[in-house]
Amino acid sequence: MFVELDAPAPVAVRAVPPPSRSARLRRAGRSLVPYLYLAPGLVLLGIWVYRPLVQTGQLSFFSWNLLPTTPMVPVGFENYERLFTLPEFGTSIWRTVVLVLGLLPFTVVVPVAVGLLARRVRGRAAVIYQALVFAPLLIAPVAGAAVWQWLLDPRSGAINQVLGTTTNWLQEPGPAQLAIIVITGWHVLGFAVLVVAAGLAGISDDYAGAAALDGATPGQVTRWITLPLLSPTLVFLVLMTVLLSAQWSFPLIDTLTNGGPAGATTNVYYLLWDYGFHSFDAGLGAAAGVIFFAGFGVIAAALVALSDRVTFHDN
Amino acid sequence: MSRIQIEGLTRRFGAVTAVDHVDLDVPDGDFLVLLGPSGCGKSTLLRMLAGLTPPSAGRILLDGRDITATPPRDRDLAMVFQSYALYPHLTVARNIGFPLRARRRPRPEVASRTETVARVLGLEELLHRRPRELSGGQRQRVALARALVRDPGAFLLDEPLSNLDATLRTATRAELTELHRRLGSTFVHVTHDQVEAMTMATRIAVLNAGRLEQVGTAAQVYDEPASVFVAGFLGSPAMGLLPGRIEHVEGSLRVLAPDVDIPLGGPDPEDAGREVVLGIRAEHLLLVEPTAAPRPGAALLRGTVRLVENLGSEEVAHCLVGDARLPVRGPRPLGLAAGDPVTLTTAPERVHLFDPASGRRLVRRPASAGTAAVSTHVPDLSAVSPS
Repeated sequence: MFVELDAPAPVAVRAVPPPSRSARLRRAGRSLVPYLYLAPGLVLLGIWVYRPLVQTGQLSFFSWNLLPTTPMVPVGFENYERLFTLPEFGTSIWRTVVLVLGLLPFTVVVPVAVGLLARRVRGRAAVIYQALVFAPLLIAPVAGAAVWQWLLDPRSGAINQVLGTTTNWLQEPGPAQLAIIVITGWHVLGFAVLVVAAGLAGISDDYAGAAALDGATPGQVTRWITLPLLSPTLVFLVLMTVLLSAQWSFPLIDTLTNGGPAGATTNVYYLLWDYGFHSFDAGLGAAAGVIFFAGFGVIAAALVALSDRVTFHDN
Repeated sequence: MSRIQIEGLTRRFGAVTAVDHVDLDVPDGDFLVLLGPSGCGKSTLLRMLAGLTPPSAGRILLDGRDITATPPRDRDLAMVFQSYALYPHLTVARNIGFPLRARRRPRPEVASRTETVARVLGLEELLHRRPRELSGGQRQRVALARALVRDPGAFLLDEPLSNLDATLRTATRAELTELHRRLGSTFVHVTHDQVEAMTMATRIAVLNAGRLEQVGTAAQVYDEPASVFVAGFLGSPAMGLLPGRIEHVEGSLRVLAPDVDIPLGGPDPEDAGREVVLGIRAEHLLLVEPTAAPRPGAALLRGTVRLVENLGSEEVAHCLVGDARLPVRGPRPLGLAAGDPVTLTTAPERVHLFDPASGRRLVRRPASAGTAAVSTHVPDLSAVSPS
């Protein structure tokens, strides 16, 4: 007679007694630990980022001249209404757009070209070369600006002597904006080159090898393989440029042109700083800050969404 | 259709010599497996064939044409990478068609060839997916399809099966063999997996520390390993190896070691006193009933069982003979347990002898050649014998 083989017998499990009160407390304590590690960072973030943000929002509905003795007068949306009637608000936005477009070659185009060309530099030479490229970022912007001021001097400056021109670089509207763009670009170029170098290093050599064996020329490998795989880095650099150009240029503008001549180098950041700390109209400055914060937030969200669509993760 | 010849190929990385004067002749239509442990230089050798790593010395000839300095794209070779190197931003269809687009073939031809190759490899359903949406086995097929689409002179495969699970690996092994049979192209396949090598290769080149140890068919490298390294690398469990000494006892040669006495036969007094390394495969060691009287003159090895492994159909008993571990393989049950004393015997012709200093195999010089001396010998298995 055949009988079926029994399935493996169930393992007898002895019920564990419910945890005591002290054990429950211990477990709660353990789950608290990660939050304790995060706490200092969160507290600082709250104090230095989110509290000022909320205060700026509040301030934008008041009229105040920054003097502790002067009372803050609630004015409703008056600051916002004034802002949109002031012509310099619109022009500062356009100047910011020009600044961002002018900086993109320094933060994307030149770094990609340098990164692709410098891939053959290896070993000690690569370290020295990267240190050289990175050095401008280590120079304090104000110190760099002082040197550039000498270089751009209309009479004895090296720039005019080399170019054979007599341009008064920092006192003519077009040249002043150009000077700010070039000096800011010089400052951040090394950083962008390093980011591109890191992005290129993250792309496996196998792709280029496979493409070469598949018959692609070096140019095709760059266009069809390397650049598409570098797209996450490129989107990151564009994002950085759009969001931070105005901030990068601020110390240079403040040192070299004070936003002039005739507001020709006043971008959105310089404008809101000017409202708050030159005109002592804290409410107007705060309102401008809130508008720019919202505007840059929308642009950043759009770029992040774009980066998710155009980037391909190398796995 | 391609014959690949390699002459004195060497690659140094700083002070390290990854590939050391390798000579190989891969005839057209061969399935050559480069076999060796990690770091033996097999992948470097393949990358030099592909043109991705420039050699430090030596020449590579493809159909008699020197391609040592030819860039990869002009070599008419296709390669499957261990990582597959599928372009992550392109769909499967565009990955497969890439070699044709790079060569500026007309669009209809690219589409039709891509479709044909996809059908052969069962990838039609996946043509619009991206590599990250594929399983490991599917990626491997796409990589293979990309190599196949162009009908190259030879295929270079760099451990293409190492990222697949065991079942898929066995299936893909058979498919690759079938593909090779159908295409008749030259394949050079790099692996560290001896089963892959034994089952797929028409010839195996065993590499160790950048040097070629032996080139031959699967049967040749398994049955007549040219060196201690090959003997120990191929076979599972590995061949048991123990030091011994050839002695002239009562008119015939015997190999002696502690608890070991194996007759070699033949009066070759000049070999007496020679130190050797003795190798016996696990399946060639037989148990002698402890009660039975040993046959006079038979090979005898005495030892103790240390461990018995159950492989399902067979058992492997790891025995300590003298100071050496000798695995014994036999049908289950062997009737042995750890701690048991064992007496083993083997057929003398199954015993491999190696020179302890050079590690090379010792073979008898044929009787017609005069005195039957033991000489180091490199089997003449390829047109260019290994260094």
